[in-house]
Amino acid sequence: MIYHALLFVLAVLTAAWAVMARSLLTSAIMLALVSVFASLLLFNFNAPWAAVFELSVCAGLITVLFIGGVSLIRASLEAAGENRLFLRLLPLALAIFAIAAWFYLPPFFTEMTGWRYIAEDTGPIGTVLWQLRRPDLLGQIAMLAAGVFVIKSVFPKRRAAK
Amino acid sequence: MSVFAFDWYFIALLLFIGFYAMLASANIIRQLIGLEIVTKAAMLAVISAGALTNNLPLAQAIVITMIVIEVVVVAAGLALLVKNHRLSGLADIWKLNSLKG
Repeated sequence: MIYHALLFVLAVLTAAWAVMARSLLTSAIMLALVSVFASLLLFNFNAPWAAVFELSVCAGLITVLFIGGVSLIRASLEAAGENRLFLRLLPLALAIFAIAAWFYLPPFFTEMTGWRYIAEDTGPIGTVLWQLRRPDLLGQIAMLAAGVFVIKSVFPKRRAAK
Repeated sequence: MSVFAFDWYFIALLLFIGFYAMLASANIIRQLIGLEIVTKAAMLAVISAGALTNNLPLAQAIVITMIVIEVVVVAAGLALLVKNHRLSGLADIWKLNSLKG
């Protein structure tokens, strides 16, 4: 339980750091750390498949995408500057929310546990992924195709000037 | 306090941070970072609910789909950001007019 709580606290702290960091590269790296803590939490929930996907895709691929994107535009972003007033207020806003939520949310969530329905045994994740949720796989392929289409239409092939 | 309530309290904090980032900054990269944090909170909520209802395989299958969607959204958002930056030199969410066809 202490390990579980520690992971949640670290995830929240690194998320706040990712939002508040002055440098966008630091933000991207802190976001990767949030993903690492989230994947450790998923392992702790006994959900290893989701944890492995989270670790490889979110902490790996998405971080590379962010760092690539930031590197392409960093110089002009730093030259332009950014209004950071509201970002600096995040710890205060988070503290107020955390204290207020401590009184209201846990009793509500505890009440929610009484509404649960225990699911029937669906078998291992392979059965769920390849049989029960097969349309999801088609949706994933469609999403990936849509992503490729968006990137291809945003960056069309340049035609040589006649 | 039950473990479920404890988990969801921290998930609510993560959601707050993500939404705050999206509201407080006009920078598209910070908006995407806020979106990522909100997605992670949603992912943890799905797995936590799956653990509560003894239905982790289904929760994991949904989370895998969520991760794929997340990657596509981030890639498309960053592509739009780079394109907008090439055209206008800005990364401001309110100044995407240069992308108008």
